[in-house]
Amino acid sequence: MTPQTTRTALVVGSGDPADSIGVGLVAAGWSLLRLGDDPINDDTVAAAFPTLEQLDLVVHARYPPLCRRRLALTDLTARQWHAACDEPLEAGIRLARAAYEPLRAAGGTFVYLVPLMASAGGDGFAPFAGAAEGLRVLAKSLARTWGADGIRVHAVTLDPGAFLAPADAAGIAEANSLHDPPLGRVPDLSGEVSPVVDALTSDAFAALTGASLVVDGGLWMPG
Amino acid sequence: MTAQAGMGGLLEGRAAMVTGAGQGVGEGIAAALAAAGAGVVVAARRPDNGEPAAQAIRDQGGRALFCRCDATRRADVDAAVSAALEQWGRLDLVVHNAVSPPGPPRPIQQIDDETIAMQIATSTTAVFHCAQAAFGELRANGGSLILLTSPSGIEGSGHLPLYGAVKGAQRGLLKSLAREWGPHGVRVNAIAPVAWTPAMDAATAANPTLEARLLGRTPLGRIGDPATDVGPVAVFLASEMSRHMTGQTLAVDGGRYLGL
Repeated sequence: MTPQTTRTALVVGSGDPADSIGVGLVAAGWSLLRLGDDPINDDTVAAAFPTLEQLDLVVHARYPPLCRRRLALTDLTARQWHAACDEPLEAGIRLARAAYEPLRAAGGTFVYLVPLMASAGGDGFAPFAGAAEGLRVLAKSLARTWGADGIRVHAVTLDPGAFLAPADAAGIAEANSLHDPPLGRVPDLSGEVSPVVDALTSDAFAALTGASLVVDGGLWMPG
Repeated sequence: MTAQAGMGGLLEGRAAMVTGAGQGVGEGIAAALAAAGAGVVVAARRPDNGEPAAQAIRDQGGRALFCRCDATRRADVDAAVSAALEQWGRLDLVVHNAVSPPGPPRPIQQIDDETIAMQIATSTTAVFHCAQAAFGELRANGGSLILLTSPSGIEGSGHLPLYGAVKGAQRGLLKSLAREWGPHGVRVNAIAPVAWTPAMDAATAANPTLEARLLGRTPLGRIGDPATDVGPVAVFLASEMSRHMTGQTLAVDGGRYLGL
């Protein structure tokens, strides 16, 4: 979906799915700003992009490497817990705070990308699931409070392979019986997921906010 | 006969630890667990409400002891677990109920770093502390962990977006721990209550129309009582009656939230 004028998207997070979503947005004509897994604080966005006044889209997929590492909770140190759960959750909340003004100026859209484990749980991924589910629910809260400001907020759930190493993703798939994608494939991030994110910003979806979409080719169909 | 009275003996010989048990929902759950026969560690930050809560249980013939506990501090949680072991020789149940007061309604862009950090510490870091400190005992006894979440952690909250986020995080944690600990025979469930608590008292006092609006959206037409409405559900989740349930969230809110 090609925008009528160049619009600016900020995509946050290192590696995939952030990288591939960014590629897809650029292909669709977006001007892309990127932040990785660096700390998010009050001044991060302003410091990285000092001339930024408006943002049409923010995509959050910032889950540092320790989130994505399979570890039993009983084996985690306090430092690992903080790095895998508390810090990513806090950063996702702070990003919303920092993005509010530029999003309001543009009437923009905020999208949190989360793994299936957020709402389905994942053996060995409690910190990741906790942080991500907190952000999935935050999307609903932000939608409620920011709607009057013209900002729409959504969460998009992706299959575990979008975030995890293949062997770990396979374990989550096994636990959730995700064996036979009804559409015959797991969606390609840049070619198939990115257009969904793009579409959420369009006028065609102007009546949609607070949605929690699952974009995984029909693998997981929660009640 | 109240639901609480009908559960006498269900937890006979068991031992439990309840965080934030000095008041509100935690106090009500502690009383219900004790009425069902469990020894209860009333784990609370403040002796001025924690000790009276424990004494009230003892006055009713129950078994309880107060242990000063800030669940954001691992050493405090370890001490509360040790208190159960020293007193009763076992620990079968941990209820993590403690929460930071959510404060007045504010949009996320007006919430400061300190408040964010505090809410996360009491709602997720504290789960880590409770789970890790108690796992060995829970595994040995086929025990369970119960988290007190909120409907706000499912449907979000326009008034309390931070509170909704950390309560949502707890649901991601509980489902993952249910998967992780199921093979060890440890169950993990959650309760999402709407009940009279000091926080609810303060909210209704600050907003005179809140209670009427809440009741208008509650099919059962009343706000829950911590001891007699929420407590028995905790007893159920702690008992053999729910032995095939794990990873679940039970809304105990008079039917206000029907989205599950």
